[in-house]
Amino acid sequence: MNWPAFWLSLQVTAFATFFIFVIGLPIALLLARTAFPGQIVVETLLMLPLILPPSVIGYYLLLALGRGSPIVEWFQIRILFSWPAAVVAAVVVGLPLMIQSSKAALANVDPRLEQAARTLGASELRIITRITLPLARRGIVAGIVLGGARALGEFGATLMVTGNIPGRTQTLPVAIYDAVQAQRYADANLMVLVMTAVAFVGLWWVRQLERPRPVPVATQITTQEETDATALVR
Amino acid sequence: MQPRLSVDITRRLDHLTLRMQFQVEAEILVLFGPSGAGKTQTLQAIAGLMTPDEGMISLGDTVLFRRRQGETPINLPPRRRRVGYVFQHYALFPHMTALENVAFPLGNSAQARRRAYELLDRMHLAHLAQRKPHELSGGQQQRVAIARALATDSPVILFDESFSALDQPVRDRLHADLRALQAERGLIVIYVTHNLDDAFAVGRRIAIVREGQIEQIGPLAEVCRYPANVRVARVLGMANLITAQVIGIDLDRVWLDWQGWRIAAALPPQPPALGATVTAFIRPEEIWLVYPDRPLTRFADHNLLPGRIVEQWPGRRLFQLRIAVGEIMLEIAHPYTAYADLGITAGNEVQISFHPESVVIVPAASHATHDLRSHPPDHIRHAGISG
Repeated sequence: MNWPAFWLSLQVTAFATFFIFVIGLPIALLLARTAFPGQIVVETLLMLPLILPPSVIGYYLLLALGRGSPIVEWFQIRILFSWPAAVVAAVVVGLPLMIQSSKAALANVDPRLEQAARTLGASELRIITRITLPLARRGIVAGIVLGGARALGEFGATLMVTGNIPGRTQTLPVAIYDAVQAQRYADANLMVLVMTAVAFVGLWWVRQLERPRPVPVATQITTQEETDATALVR
Repeated sequence: MQPRLSVDITRRLDHLTLRMQFQVEAEILVLFGPSGAGKTQTLQAIAGLMTPDEGMISLGDTVLFRRRQGETPINLPPRRRRVGYVFQHYALFPHMTALENVAFPLGNSAQARRRAYELLDRMHLAHLAQRKPHELSGGQQQRVAIARALATDSPVILFDESFSALDQPVRDRLHADLRALQAERGLIVIYVTHNLDDAFAVGRRIAIVREGQIEQIGPLAEVCRYPANVRVARVLGMANLITAQVIGIDLDRVWLDWQGWRIAAALPPQPPALGATVTAFIRPEEIWLVYPDRPLTRFADHNLLPGRIVEQWPGRRLFQLRIAVGEIMLEIAHPYTAYADLGITAGNEVQISFHPESVVIVPAASHATHDLRSHPPDHIRHAGISG
């Protein structure tokens, strides 16, 4: 077992999940609650990392984080071939899952409940924190878990932007690749097992969150609030 | 002085133009009309959920909305209007208990919870305070919604088809509660419905809404007695609409030729022209069957007509008959025991009679009867100031 890679993966995943949440939620709110020209283009761009080959994402990130890019030249942020680059790669691939899931859940919150809150004297901020977010809670948590799991498993782009330096930038998925290349199968088996277990628990949790609660007969509104899993892949 | 809610707005919608002008005091005003007539939009405009193109909405001295030429526009956001709104499907927050729902407009203090509890208690729901909405019946949910609207402390509460999803007995009880609540707190209530029974159950004043405009507004009894036109009579479910020709006018009677019979009708506020064809209605409850072996009442000698029973069936409150008079079918409703000795069977020949006051002539031309309490139109008021 490659412990440095394991801990680094945890560290990268923790940071990435935080940023996925902090960046993804406002974007999801914006997309679910407003309509603006070019919205479809923006949404498509945000979903692109889901289907682009990891090497393409990696190449873009090399351009974005490498010498000559505004990030490096203007802001003096040099993270290429260090572990924060792995965080960036993980955020980019995890964000679409967070946005998809949260957006579907937020869009499913009955606007009449928000209208009702307005007539009851609530400010827009209070409506979001007391009504909208709590009702979309499960979809948002599902998005965080999915995005975090994707961040943990990120391989291709990470390989390209971190340089695969054992003990410094080598994450667990990359370490597995290395172990197989070096025919250290005992090592690989263990790490594969860990990854599978984490992925299983994550998905199982998401499915628990998405399982419809018992639908009350008397209210028509609560039935609409269920997160529809099919809406995720629309 | 009690505040008065004054509405005078215009708004273009997809399929019609909303033009609403009315005032409500501490009373229950029913906005009655078919679906899609603009009733809900009117409530939304008052609550601030929809912005009219033009006009003014005010509550006492507070202007909630104003957009008129030459005046500073005002458009208070819904949260600053604090107009209580009770939605058709309750719109309770499903993740909060009944108590938390009612406390929502009050804040998070202990006092807020105490006040919320009092309001729930007033709606007879104190024992269910900790339940979530989906653990409550429809009627209970609507009571929570009413308590929550009361918690805003607004003198105005709007009911948007609020009870239409509920069973009749539950609805009856809520209507009684609503009347009591209104009287107890001096609330300004606007109650929107497309259900005639609901309108009669709560309203003392009614506005008949059709295609975005008010056809007639006034006390319920008056509107029923003198519908402004045939359309109002029809939406009010007036049975026995007949067409007849005016053949004579008296001090207090109009004589009509109906299928060759001469019948007497009450003289309406705007007397019809001699020879004109008019529409009138006869209330089903005010048509009597005549016992052949008993003396006629005073008036029966005027309006005494032969008929044949076509159909009979028990109604919710009264027994129903359909009787063919000449070419026309008339509906009759009478107390269950009224004609016990008469042997009412389909096919029997009977004589019917009705008082002239029961024959109400409806003005033919469409012209809205304006609310007697409304202000004169604004251009008149302004003319005095500017000149």
